[in-house]
Amino acid sequence: MLEIRNLTKSYGDVLALDRFSLDLAKGEVLGLLGPNGAGKTTLISILAGTLGGFTGTVTFQGQSLFASRQLKNRLGIVPQDMAFYEDLSAMDNLLFWGGLYDVPRAELKRRAAEILELVELAGRAKEPVKKFSGGMKRRLNTAIGLLHKPDLLLLDEPTVGIDVQAKVSILDIIRNVGAAGTAVIFTTHQLAEVETACSRVAIMDKGRILAQGTLDELVRIVGERTFVEISGEFGAGAFSEAIQDMPAPSVELMSAGDNLALLAVSDTDQIPRVMDRLFGRKLAVTDLTIKSPNLETVFLKLTGRSLRD
Amino acid sequence: MRRLLHVFTNDVRRHLRAPLVIVVFMAIPLAMTALIGAVFGPKPGANALPRIAVLVVDRDKSVASKLLLGAFDSARMKEMFEVTVIGESEGRERMKAGRASAMIVVPERFTLDLMEWKPVALTVVKNPAEQFLPDVAEEAVNTLAVVLSGAVRAFGDEVRGIRTMMDLPLEAFPWASLGPELAKAQSKVIAASKYLDPLLIRLKSEEVTTAGSRPAVTRADVFSAVLPGMAIMFLLFIVQTVMRDILAEREDGTLRRMMSAPLRPLELVGARILGGWLMGLAVLLVMAAAGRLLFGATWGPFGYFLLLGATAAFWVAAFFALFHALVANRNQAGAIGAPVILVFSLFGGSMMSPDAMPAAFRPIGLFTPNRWFIDGAALVRDGRFPLAAVAVLGASGLALLALAVPALLRQTRSAS
Repeated sequence: MLEIRNLTKSYGDVLALDRFSLDLAKGEVLGLLGPNGAGKTTLISILAGTLGGFTGTVTFQGQSLFASRQLKNRLGIVPQDMAFYEDLSAMDNLLFWGGLYDVPRAELKRRAAEILELVELAGRAKEPVKKFSGGMKRRLNTAIGLLHKPDLLLLDEPTVGIDVQAKVSILDIIRNVGAAGTAVIFTTHQLAEVETACSRVAIMDKGRILAQGTLDELVRIVGERTFVEISGEFGAGAFSEAIQDMPAPSVELMSAGDNLALLAVSDTDQIPRVMDRLFGRKLAVTDLTIKSPNLETVFLKLTGRSLRD
Repeated sequence: MRRLLHVFTNDVRRHLRAPLVIVVFMAIPLAMTALIGAVFGPKPGANALPRIAVLVVDRDKSVASKLLLGAFDSARMKEMFEVTVIGESEGRERMKAGRASAMIVVPERFTLDLMEWKPVALTVVKNPAEQFLPDVAEEAVNTLAVVLSGAVRAFGDEVRGIRTMMDLPLEAFPWASLGPELAKAQSKVIAASKYLDPLLIRLKSEEVTTAGSRPAVTRADVFSAVLPGMAIMFLLFIVQTVMRDILAEREDGTLRRMMSAPLRPLELVGARILGGWLMGLAVLLVMAAAGRLLFGATWGPFGYFLLLGATAAFWVAAFFALFHALVANRNQAGAIGAPVILVFSLFGGSMMSPDAMPAAFRPIGLFTPNRWFIDGAALVRDGRFPLAAVAVLGASGLALLALAVPALLRQTRSAS
């Protein structure tokens, strides 16, 4: 359904997208995982048709996504901003935003009522949106993107700044939309969200996809070993030197930064030895976490940084 | 076009849902007009003289003094004079305190001396602290004295006959002799009446308008002259507020979302300018109607006024479209916009008449919509077509629009 090839976009000297390529099938929910500045919002903006000055091609349902303005009728956008009118009611907002697409007026009203039920705002449909909580606003923001039943839904960090309950509600909606046949690209830097909602995950950093696949496929990248995440003030070089002569594959340094390092160990007995080495060199360790293989360890291995950075 | 109208109607709906700013901006010019009209306009009854306080000291207490006091008691005289009969010492105290315009002293034997055709004098004491009211009172007393003197002379024989009877004690009064005296007086009145009724000479009042003179200025005229200046000033504020959405949407992400829909930038820009124009015109018409209802302000032929208002609102919408395409954000728009409007209003005649400005500053007003609207409104009020105002505002508005549209399109595309 969607083919992105060699998409490149830069802001001055900063390369936001670097020959980015991606395929997406109908009904697939792709979680685009990456830290701030990875290029996620740039990608969504280009696909939404609101950002120009790029190279590469985007083919949607067999034609260039940018060939015709009418193709925008098949795209749904949920921006990171709460992009609606706070003075209007939820219903009026839906009717306005839906009215920008080619949906007959009567049909639009019916769909608006349906979508308000879906996002659990039917009871507050006529209230001004400014009275809504953050979670309710996020749900409305999502509902606006879904109203015209798009074939491709682009969500840019749709769960930022809301409570767990609202987050679960939005993730449910995303999953259901995908199950109904809409292709979804969903950007986030929350690992748990992609694990919950997505059928496929792409890990992105510095404008490129580092790895992609199902959750299981990605976890296999780091193998079956136990992972030890060590935080502190040690410096990447000093940390590497401290453990460089420890026998692999018993202890393998997956990534090392000045404040965070990830080790894979074949046996948890190796952990005290690692700590002895670090303390012996007077490296300040503040935290140590033992982890099973998961997306976070994959991300850390691939990027050398935590998603929190 | 469908999407343009869709955005436009949504803008109108949003502003109607939160109308406070527009209502306040509409109320302020009406309030300022009311204030200016109240302070500088003519007051109701301002031309009428106050009632003149006259004190009468009646030492005579007889027929003639009663006639004099009775004359002051007629309806017409009561409108002008407030007469108080008072003792002499108290009267002089009141005059010293400045609590009356004049005091008339009727001397003793006033009636008797009159009947004997002896010269008598009425004393008029005037309040020196007042400019002309005491003179009015003196003139009125003088007129009454002339009338009374004339009556005494005309009926001299009868008066003398009655006078001789008045020296007698009451029980000796010859009542039977009174009849013939009165009959003689009656025959004189009847004889005179054919000359007096109808009066050969009557006074006829009429007002004359000389060349160059104007009819008296009413308070409604003052409102009518002040309100256009206020209306155009606050039209500028209102349209600026409405069109500030252009910047708000750029900042809050709604512009990007709109541009991700199948809405063309030109449709969005068109909706914004149309919104500013039509909402501005609607507000102007509401202010005009309110001015008519509240102050009786006159606007002249509606068609002319509508055309002038539509042209002025168009100019203002085009100006602020360009303005908002050039400023960076809402704060900048607020910081620059208000001074620009105030400068327009100052030099354009909303705050003071251009005639009150130094001659060197007057031509600046020609570059403001205020001046053209105010001058145009004055012409319309006189029933004339405001050709120059409509032509200048329309042509310069189109020029502003030609600059604003590409600038806004560029801004819309870059901001999204």
